[in-house]
Amino acid sequence: MSGGTPKILIANRGEIAVRIARACLKLGVDFVCIYTAEDAQSGHVRLAREHGAKKGLYRVSSYHDANELLAVADDSGAGALHPGYGFFAEDYRFARRMQRRERPLNFIGPSWQVIRDLGDKINTKRLARSLGVPTVPGSDKPIYDEMEAEKFARTIYEFQLQQGIEHPVILVKASAGGGGMGIEEVHDIDLFRSVFRRIRNYAARQFKDEGVLIEQRIRDFNHLEVQILAEREAANIVHFGTRNCSIQSDGLQKRLEAAPGFAPASISYGFDAQKLLDAITAHSLIMAKAVGYDNIGTWEWIVTRDGAPYLMEVNARVQVENGVSAAVTRIRGEAGVDLIAEQIRTALGQPLGYSQEDISFEGSSLEYRIIAEDPKRRFSPWVGRIEKFQWEQKDWINLHTHVPTGEPYDIPTEFDPNLALGIVWGKDLEEAKRRGLEFLDGLVLEGRGSHADELKSNVDFLRARTEGVLVF
Amino acid sequence: MHMMETEKQIQRLNERLAYIRDIFADKDKPDVNLLAAAMEKHLLRSPSMNPSELREAALALEEFFASIEKKLDHELSPMDLVRIVRHPQRICLRDILENVYDSYTEIGSMDEHSIDPSMVIARAYITRTSGKRSFNQSVMIIGHEKGHGEDFRNGGSSKPWGNAKALHYMKVAETENIPIHTFVFTPGSYPVEDTPGAAQQIAANIYEMASLRVPVISVISEGGSGGAEAISLADRRLMLSHGYYSVISPEGAAAIEGRLRGGGRAANDLVEACAERMKITAADNLRMGYVDHVVIEPRLGARPFHYDFFRTLRHELLRVTDEVSISMRGLRPFREMRLRSRRKRAARGLDFEKAYVRWNLPPSAQIRLVNRRHKKYRRLSRQAAPDKTPLSRRISAAWQEVGWGLYSHFMHDMIQKRQQKVAEYVDEVKSEWTLFFERVLSPWNKLLDKILGASERVNRETMRKLTELSEWNVSLEQRGGNWVYVSARAREDRAVSCPNARVHGCLDLWAPDLYGEFAGVCPNCGHHFPMEYQWYLHNVFDQGSIFEFAADVECGNPLEMENFTPKLEEAKRKTGHKSACMVFEARIHDARLVVAMLIGDFRGGTVGAAEGEKFIRAAERATRKRVPFLAYVHGTAGIRIQEGTNGLIQMPRCTMAVRRYIDAGGLYIVCYDTNSYAGPVASFLGCSPYQFGIRSANVGFAGPGVIAETTGMVPPPHYHNVYKALARGHIQGIWDRREMRFNLSRALLTMGGRNLYYR
Amino acid sequence: MLDISALLEELKRSPYEEISVCAPHCGRVGFSPALKEGLAVYGPQGEFKEKAGTLLARIERERNLKEVSCPERGEIIAVRRDLHEKFVEAGTELVRLRHFLSRPEAEKRILQKALHLFLAPERARYYFVPSKDIKIKTAGPRSVSVRDGEELFIMSRMKRETPLPYSGPDGVIYAVYFSHAASVESSTPLIGVCPPDMLAQVEEVVLRVQTEWKEQY
Repeated sequence: MSGGTPKILIANRGEIAVRIARACLKLGVDFVCIYTAEDAQSGHVRLAREHGAKKGLYRVSSYHDANELLAVADDSGAGALHPGYGFFAEDYRFARRMQRRERPLNFIGPSWQVIRDLGDKINTKRLARSLGVPTVPGSDKPIYDEMEAEKFARTIYEFQLQQGIEHPVILVKASAGGGGMGIEEVHDIDLFRSVFRRIRNYAARQFKDEGVLIEQRIRDFNHLEVQILAEREAANIVHFGTRNCSIQSDGLQKRLEAAPGFAPASISYGFDAQKLLDAITAHSLIMAKAVGYDNIGTWEWIVTRDGAPYLMEVNARVQVENGVSAAVTRIRGEAGVDLIAEQIRTALGQPLGYSQEDISFEGSSLEYRIIAEDPKRRFSPWVGRIEKFQWEQKDWINLHTHVPTGEPYDIPTEFDPNLALGIVWGKDLEEAKRRGLEFLDGLVLEGRGSHADELKSNVDFLRARTEGVLVF
Repeated sequence: MHMMETEKQIQRLNERLAYIRDIFADKDKPDVNLLAAAMEKHLLRSPSMNPSELREAALALEEFFASIEKKLDHELSPMDLVRIVRHPQRICLRDILENVYDSYTEIGSMDEHSIDPSMVIARAYITRTSGKRSFNQSVMIIGHEKGHGEDFRNGGSSKPWGNAKALHYMKVAETENIPIHTFVFTPGSYPVEDTPGAAQQIAANIYEMASLRVPVISVISEGGSGGAEAISLADRRLMLSHGYYSVISPEGAAAIEGRLRGGGRAANDLVEACAERMKITAADNLRMGYVDHVVIEPRLGARPFHYDFFRTLRHELLRVTDEVSISMRGLRPFREMRLRSRRKRAARGLDFEKAYVRWNLPPSAQIRLVNRRHKKYRRLSRQAAPDKTPLSRRISAAWQEVGWGLYSHFMHDMIQKRQQKVAEYVDEVKSEWTLFFERVLSPWNKLLDKILGASERVNRETMRKLTELSEWNVSLEQRGGNWVYVSARAREDRAVSCPNARVHGCLDLWAPDLYGEFAGVCPNCGHHFPMEYQWYLHNVFDQGSIFEFAADVECGNPLEMENFTPKLEEAKRKTGHKSACMVFEARIHDARLVVAMLIGDFRGGTVGAAEGEKFIRAAERATRKRVPFLAYVHGTAGIRIQEGTNGLIQMPRCTMAVRRYIDAGGLYIVCYDTNSYAGPVASFLGCSPYQFGIRSANVGFAGPGVIAETTGMVPPPHYHNVYKALARGHIQGIWDRREMRFNLSRALLTMGGRNLYYR
Repeated sequence: MLDISALLEELKRSPYEEISVCAPHCGRVGFSPALKEGLAVYGPQGEFKEKAGTLLARIERERNLKEVSCPERGEIIAVRRDLHEKFVEAGTELVRLRHFLSRPEAEKRILQKALHLFLAPERARYYFVPSKDIKIKTAGPRSVSVRDGEELFIMSRMKRETPLPYSGPDGVIYAVYFSHAASVESSTPLIGVCPPDMLAQVEEVVLRVQTEWKEQY
């Protein structure tokens, strides 16, 4: 890119920091990395040493301390900051602070208003409803009054009975909650009141907001996502298709993703899958346009077995699994799309340079998450040293990792034990699955420490799940 | 034999000389030197004198002593009085019990074997004759015991449990219908926060004493601030002529005046000057109206050998106790007549010992007694707080007040009660009908269900309700930190550290986030950074609902303290308020209430005559309008010491106003923020049954510095924190600042007495 | 049998430890002007350790000036003056000081050799199980006795918590070597347990240190 572009501070670690650094290298943008004492071996530190800016690497006390990042940005002269995912990616206060401080910084992500508005469950649901985007049946505003709540809950109960659901279940959740906190299921409508009261008191204590949401519990669904990208000022908004993230661990952590979201050519569904994918894509785009979406983002959907889609939430950031969408995308027929590079480019104010008509999709892609944990022991993490980490290089494999391959690597205990993402591509689902298994077979992952065989059992888990991908 | 007598005489004179030296401390008084020289001369000469010469010389010396003592007595400075009162030879409660009363029994103490040896309770009686019959008249004696310097007496500085004992026996006296004589010999209360805390106990005492249904007579020798108030609220207050009654010890005042911190000592002349300026003498307090009568002491102060003095004191006690009893008994014209004739006879030398008056009061007199007491205190200290409201407005306000009273009575007593009855009846009928219809229609509904299949019944209306956008007025709720008022500190681009960072690992906060969206609360540990009072005005009460009244009652400088008026003017200019207390009406979710707010920015939120007057007016307004009364304490450092007893007297005055309000069936809520200490907490704030603390606030009696200085123990960190206060039983709950509006509105619905307009 | 005399002699030969005071976070550092090599400095003082130790440096980040104060009593042996008024990264050493072991510290060192040490199996954060935690907090560690196989710790890593049983001889917990929120390296001692038969020896250590260890200032 031209000489006027600012230096970018990469405010993250691990695989995403490596990917952002590589994207910067590709774009010819200077970058600065940060690391904590535990992370000194990590791949992003090495990249920063080799290719980073002049003052390109800083040791910080914590990735979680905004002051630390901003102090480093100021000292290094960085003009923009990439939050990656996690940490500050969806912290609208951080984005707002970057914009409003005396030395403003460009936050590589949506504007803080968009992050705030779409970070609020109620706001998102109401916005969706105002645009006719389908959402889970239930309340779209916090309910405070017990009588009103019970009346509403009974309506949802009746509604489920009317749909032929034998055992209706109602979800009661704190409107200010998140991440599975302050949610309870009600199976017996007569117990609703006590659950409501419990959640309300919990919410008041925990979130300083007594509001409660009441919804129908949807069960047996697939988890789909629509990838969106927009220029700054939200002038040009495009989508990069759908992906299916239904294969998850017990803790609802995604393990294996596939793009596109369904494969009607290979698998038969109880509904018109292509029509459904088109519908959720269209709905996502409508919403993105309505809020003035101005960077990368993901619209998350759940789809029931009957093919009914409901919007769950919007992730106003780049996601781990963006690569699986990129793998099946072609811009003007060209492969090798890098969504992170596209994100940085647009955030720095460049136009997209293409429109939706220029984007096409080809083949099928799978993403495997290689994580140091044991599926047999309730996905409990494995700590130790990675002695050997190799895979067969193929032109259809794209592997993202921060783990060094030439030397041993101690897994830091402070963070999630993610090791690598392996993305394979095939011309159709069958080929992708075949290549996926081939990739897993060729993967060498050896560790030292207690239960070192757990590393292998994680690979076994992924292998076992490959067959069932996209089957619904 | 004669030898012995003279020797003793000289020895006594020597003691008197030593006492005089103590009293005038290190002042270089020529007269004292003269006495010393005379004594020295006498001692030099005496070995060569014969007995009759000796006798004469001793007599001459004694006469000389008497004349110099007379002169010195006229020259006593206020600080000399303080030294007199604190001198181990000063008469103490034990001396009074033995010499003033005819018989007594200590209750709950034998020297150091007592829950608090500095507070003595005794039952005593006085024998009087009427004609040929004699009567033993019982009284309850409650007072501080200094015990001529006995260590375990703690100098008469009572602990909370000592004051609790005092309160207990006041209630006993009330039950037994006998008068109470209290004797105040205290430099101040012992500032510990142990259960339930010095402040809380004093507040409880004042609150109860406000409406004790027996005559209370107090005698003040050493009246040291809060400790004195704990037992001195009385129908008649006597003061010994060489005593002092003050809001703070002169040393304490000097330390504040000299801006000394951490145990530094003020210069002697500054202490002297402070004692002078604070107007702490009996004469000063009599002039200002805070004591009713001064009992003249012997020259240079009463000591145990002044038997005449005990007779005078007995005489005075009988006189005022009689007076209080007479003025409450019987029908009004007779009362006045009896009182007048008695006063005349007393002037002619009536012997009270032989003029028996009953001291127990019939119920009607008890009510009168309490009313009079309230009126008496209501009148005090008005001169110290000028009300600058124009006359016309004052007249119209007075009319309005009458109007509210009538309106409230009419609306709430007469109409509403009727309406309520009708409504209750209608409700009952309604519920009967619904039950009836449900029963009639239920078979029909079941049938309908069967005929129409379940799938048919997926109701369009239900569907719409559950999946389409509903109506919602977000502006009614403050969600996501959208505060109406945002602190000016939220405009600085800087990071702020949480004081708990070390313990809880809180990260630095960005000032605009902290003071804006977070309302000054650390999102990690919940620490509350102090906020401006405006934050509460705008974010707690309904928008635009605040109506201030009595804004023109202005605090002044009643003791004409040097350099104080400019400081006051500065505070007024800086805050835009005329006193540290703002009183206003406001609404929360449309419920009306009266609020008195102590503003920490105005001279530390200290309370003087003006603040007290405004507080009382607020309580009275709340009574008339039958609305809840909230005291929001943004911060208070205590009573304003520059006003001396004019400030101190606000403790009983305001507490009595609160008592009247609560007895009338109101709801009095106190909410402490930032730092609240001393007098106000130990009286009109601490007496509330519903006290809440904003998180991270400190509540207590004396600050850590004062505790260290007076007790010699360093209080542990967070000694005054609200959590500690809650654990001690001082406050009733802790509120998060952001939830104050919600908590307050819930409190209005769930707490309080019968006489609130919305009940 | 433990040779207490030898241990004491060894400790007496170098009766201090070196403490390095590092920048707690990034920022611009400024040293206190009085600071120089050889200066005697103090750690937190007061009955409740409420007074901070000697001011060593100030560090400013995002216009927030924070003080770095001395953690222990000792003597300064090095000051990184070259960093004065410069931006430093988190963890950069600012001051190095020599701390003379106090009597309890010497006792702790020797006791580590006398007690049965239970080591951390993995790098993680450790907590006592709540029932023991309360007892230790209120009545001190020596009020708690442990048995082999008893569930004593909670090991927390990767945001997940697993219970950890104690293994070793039965006895009372004589010393606790880890702090609440800090990460513990694998194979470092967590607690020192004193079995009943070793009590006499442990008490001798305490006594010897009490009489023979002279604190240096």
